[in-house]
Amino acid sequence: MDPSATGIQEPFDLIRLSLSERVFVKLRGDREVTGILHAYDGHMNLILSDVEETIMIVDTENAPDGTVNVAKRKMEMLFVRGDGVILVSPPSRA
Amino acid sequence: MLIFSVFKTLTDQQVTVELKNDLSITGILKSVDQFLNIRLDNIKVLDEGRHPHMMAVKNCFIRGSVVRYVQLPSEHVDTQLLEDATRREALSQVKR
Amino acid sequence: MSSLQGYVDRRVLLILQDGRAIVGTMAGYDQKSNVVLSDSKERVYSIDEGVEEIPLGLYLVKGDMVVLIGEIDEVLDQAVDLATVRAEPIMPIRY
Repeated sequence: MDPSATGIQEPFDLIRLSLSERVFVKLRGDREVTGILHAYDGHMNLILSDVEETIMIVDTENAPDGTVNVAKRKMEMLFVRGDGVILVSPPSRA
Repeated sequence: MLIFSVFKTLTDQQVTVELKNDLSITGILKSVDQFLNIRLDNIKVLDEGRHPHMMAVKNCFIRGSVVRYVQLPSEHVDTQLLEDATRREALSQVKR
Repeated sequence: MSSLQGYVDRRVLLILQDGRAIVGTMAGYDQKSNVVLSDSKERVYSIDEGVEEIPLGLYLVKGDMVVLIGEIDEVLDQAVDLATVRAEPIMPIRY
């Protein structure tokens, strides 16, 4: 695809074009959030609304095979510090 | 700079700061600096029964680098304004 | 600057990256949140015993190690009998 047509030339463009859309964010500590992206900066600090967080807890004590328990919670408006961000994925345009 | 400004507009509002040691502290945002260090007043630690360590602490300074999340009062966040400001900052960074 | 203004000469609780909790009188600080505490004690929490206080005296803590600094309400603090407090230590910071 022609980069000038999509407006995507560098990684941050992909995030810029996701403003006001729902994004998926993978975080350190086996956490993921989805939310509507309203702001970001060069540290990948993010501000999201209508957020759902998923925490994966691997239960090694009771289940040595590594059963994963999942905890979810919702938050209205969330600042996410950039140093915890592993990846930001734009909404699927299927 | 953008995020710093956002926090400044939220001074005197109630926020919940979640730290990377899993402590969650709710309080009134009194100030913030360029490192996103945060001063909170009138604090309450979530699940105080399990975390009595801060029972006698009424206000605190939190180092920005240990913050995982800050839950913001959505009614005081103008999302349209934020998106416009973010686009403006992104463009100015490209031009440099 | 958000900073530690107003904490000098006050009793404070310092929480460190490794989960330690130290109380002391804030003697000074700088921009990097390096902190000097006088008359400081570590408060060691455990589930099986009350809180143990270990005297540390004059202590300089590097800013990188600081998680949180809280002003202690001395009346509230003295009303608590630490020997009766049972709690897990604070978790270390995990990036």
